[in-house]
Amino acid sequence: MKFRDGVRRVLGCEKRGQQEIVGFVLIVVLVVIGLMVFLIISVRDSGEEVGGVRVSNMVDVLMRTTTDCAIVSEPYFEDFEDLFKSCREGDSCANLGVSACDYLNESLRNVVSSMVMSDASVDGWEVEFSVREGEGILRWSDGECAGGVSGAQRTIVSGGTSLIVRMRVC
Amino acid sequence: MKIMQMSFMIIGVFLFFVLVGLFVLGIVFKDVNAGAKELAMQEAVASIEVIAAMPELNYDERDSMVIDKDKLKVLAGGLAEDYEMFWPIASLEIYKVYPVFDERISCPAAGCNYYDVYDSGHRDVEKFSSYVSICERVREFGYVYDRCEIGKIVVGMKIWDSEVVE
Repeated sequence: MKFRDGVRRVLGCEKRGQQEIVGFVLIVVLVVIGLMVFLIISVRDSGEEVGGVRVSNMVDVLMRTTTDCAIVSEPYFEDFEDLFKSCREGDSCANLGVSACDYLNESLRNVVSSMVMSDASVDGWEVEFSVREGEGILRWSDGECAGGVSGAQRTIVSGGTSLIVRMRVC
Repeated sequence: MKIMQMSFMIIGVFLFFVLVGLFVLGIVFKDVNAGAKELAMQEAVASIEVIAAMPELNYDERDSMVIDKDKLKVLAGGLAEDYEMFWPIASLEIYKVYPVFDERISCPAAGCNYYDVYDSGHRDVEKFSSYVSICERVREFGYVYDRCEIGKIVVGMKIWDSEVVE
């Protein structure tokens, strides 16, 4: 009888001990989940804003730049924003005798490369020109993207269609 | 015995939370340094925007980060020295990025690409840069149009009260 009581008491203690361990493990799991959430939020916030502002400024400056392509006649030279529209509409540069898309394809790479060349912090870049529905028209890229990426995009409305120019810099 | 076990458990849990707290504090304070650098960068970018928007440099008040090439020529020609008390910065340089150039030619000169607008002579200066459009009104074939090139504005910020080099 005494032996049975002893076994019961020991088993009861073990049960309580197991409950405490389960409780402790639960607390640890909760704290770990909290830490993970905290880490994810703090990693997400880092450095994107300023980088985004810089790339946004790059896109604005690029769009305003006057090209050597005149669709109608000289001196009505297109800026890059108009050139994107002319490329979509299938126009040609009257003064150069090439299509707007061919000129855009060639000149945009040179312009962005020279912009990036003056910035030692840039390892790689990518510019994509597409229609809102997801149809890609042109794409340029150079360099390797290993670190953080900053990006910006502009929407150009041309004849009821939204054209998207997206730039990513890393 | 049970009180002892309980107290050990409480001490254990307390130590665990202290360690977790130290870990969190470590991450937070690691971010403070990066945050300070980021704030300085944001401030610099904001200063660059303010300077580019000044009527002395701005091409079109509706657009930000667009510099008037003619105003630049005048300021780089020596007029900026009269603005010594006006500039809230240590130095201001602007150079063309596109079209690409092989050698730096300071303005005013034919085919120049570098505008040294202002230099206070401060020794300890931290420089920040951003892209700008350098625009001018051009008259060709009897028509007037705006021609914009790509440039970079470099603003030097004073670090504390640095000395002026004469």
